[in-house]
Amino acid sequence: MATLETQQLDEIIVNTRRKMLTMGGAALAALAFGSTRKAEAQAAAINDFDILNFALNLEYLEAQFYNLAVYGVTIDKLPTPIPISVNGGTGGSVTLSPSFAAVPFALPLVKAYATETAGEEGKHVLFLQQALSTNAVSMPNIDLFNSFNTLATVAGLGTSFNPFMDDAHFLIGAYVFEDVGVSAYHGAAGLIADKTNILPAAVGIHAVEAYHAGLIRTTIAGLDAAGSPLPTGTLTSYTQAISKARSALANPDPTNPITVPFTTFTGSGADDIGVQTTPVALNASTSIYTAATIVDCDLNAMGWSRTTSQVLAIVTGTAPTAASPHEGVFFPNGMNGTIN
Amino acid sequence: MEKKLNDLIDKALSRRKFLAGAGTAAAGAMIVGCNSSTPAPTTTPTPTPTPLDIPDNDILNFALNLEYLEAEFYLYATTGSGLSTADALSGAGTTIVPQGIAAVPWTNSSFAQYANEIAQDELDHVRAIQAAIKANSGTPVPRPALDLTFFAPLAVAAGITNPSPFNPFLSTNAFLVGAFVFEDVGVTAYTGAAPLISNNAILSAAAGIQATEAYHAAEIRTLLVAGAAQTNDQTYVNLANQVSTLRGNISVASGNKLAAETQLGTMSIVAADGNAIAYARTTDQVLHIVYGGASGVGVAKGGFFPNGLNGNISVTAS
Repeated sequence: MATLETQQLDEIIVNTRRKMLTMGGAALAALAFGSTRKAEAQAAAINDFDILNFALNLEYLEAQFYNLAVYGVTIDKLPTPIPISVNGGTGGSVTLSPSFAAVPFALPLVKAYATETAGEEGKHVLFLQQALSTNAVSMPNIDLFNSFNTLATVAGLGTSFNPFMDDAHFLIGAYVFEDVGVSAYHGAAGLIADKTNILPAAVGIHAVEAYHAGLIRTTIAGLDAAGSPLPTGTLTSYTQAISKARSALANPDPTNPITVPFTTFTGSGADDIGVQTTPVALNASTSIYTAATIVDCDLNAMGWSRTTSQVLAIVTGTAPTAASPHEGVFFPNGMNGTIN
Repeated sequence: MEKKLNDLIDKALSRRKFLAGAGTAAAGAMIVGCNSSTPAPTTTPTPTPTPLDIPDNDILNFALNLEYLEAEFYLYATTGSGLSTADALSGAGTTIVPQGIAAVPWTNSSFAQYANEIAQDELDHVRAIQAAIKANSGTPVPRPALDLTFFAPLAVAAGITNPSPFNPFLSTNAFLVGAFVFEDVGVTAYTGAAPLISNNAILSAAAGIQATEAYHAAEIRTLLVAGAAQTNDQTYVNLANQVSTLRGNISVASGNKLAAETQLGTMSIVAADGNAIAYARTTDQVLHIVYGGASGVGVAKGGFFPNGLNGNISVTAS
């Protein structure tokens, strides 16, 4: 009984599987050559709960970063705690500098923005835990100390970077996460089978991540122009270095291996742009105007979309095609859940 | 809220059970296609009704009308003129603009660069949606008649008495309030429309535009709040919030139980609900707002669209 409904659902499922097949060369190759049962089993097993759990891991990371920045404690130690251990699991730990303390904010607006974002990322954790109910995963081990030092090294910003040092460093730390969250939810939207109940929530969270990213990027642009107190141009140059690093991690070019730092990356497959300026034509025939790049988007002014493998590559510092589980940088022991 | 969540989870679970069966069949089919062996198990899943009945091209043309409005507004603000004939398409309506319109006299080059970026983005959206409709075997509608002097009566309806008449092209701050009128509406419109789209490639494009609109909305909201803090003058934040209240009231009048607005402040840059999830508006709610607030069934034009939107989604059904 192939009704229109079942046809549509089949189409969604087949499209979803197609999308999953594009997730990683290794998985695709494994399917094509009919080997590695693991890859097959994994692809067949992915459902909406797996996708939401993937998102939950990212929200744990963001919620910990912002709440630590503002309150100096992990989310499970807040006055109204947010659980990190659910469904009988044991939540991981958060690695911090031995001398960690909350950000000593000097700018009231930046502190206000951080506080708002901390609350919203915490709500995302709670919402996903409740929506997933008995399927929700606990928080994996998270690293907010060595991770930023590693990232600073690969992005060419020096050997250490403390995002909790002051307002400016906090904004750069936030910059690392927000655009990635946007591209991750964008990529996940097309994978979600339940367009009635799950998809509306996912696109709603997607928009909020983009609000956060727009807020952070606008604030960095303003602070940088005013002198942060780092010299004018420093913060925006950091954003450009981080965007190049993210793009190179998500789109490694086999003929042009990733070098450290990413100064040589020109990026035919670049999918990230830092805060800078760019010439635009508007309604003229040539590019005679100068535009900011507050929005992280492609030439069609559409936000980037990244596959789960690309997102894993960025947050763990591995190649998108690396074997699961991806481990390293922000998730030293990988993410919890099926997509890892 | 509790009940809503439980309902959501119940629906998700029953849906998942159903999908688990269908998924096995599809997986079987794929594997057969790839490398032989096991025949696909035949299951007959129970159909679940899904509201996938609005053609994607109708939704895209609805969005295109909104992008024409935004592009026209930002292009006039940045260059003093609007969309080119080629971008407006054959049969385009005329745009009414305030007398003596010219580009906004920006307070500094940063604001010019911010506005130039948004103008280019909205123009790119116009072109991308036109292309997406053609690629989906449809016909993009031309720019409808637009009225950019509607900001003045809109401001009066929002209770804004100074400056009067309100003209978003006269100063940087007035421009930010003018931009505020559109951006959050765009986000809620795309958040509402995305789940209605059946084709996954088009869904991805809509999600991409939704993200860009949310970046814009956050940018405008951040600039308003930061400017107010810098000058210790909340005038324009207050004006924006009067607009926000008006939009919320229009949404309520057209059947939305939520106000669907988050008042702007230093601790509320993001417009979202209690779960930190962006609000979604139906096409009807968006029509009521851009048509200037008339409520009920059958509203076909008004406000920024003196002759209504072009395309199949142009008259309110609720």
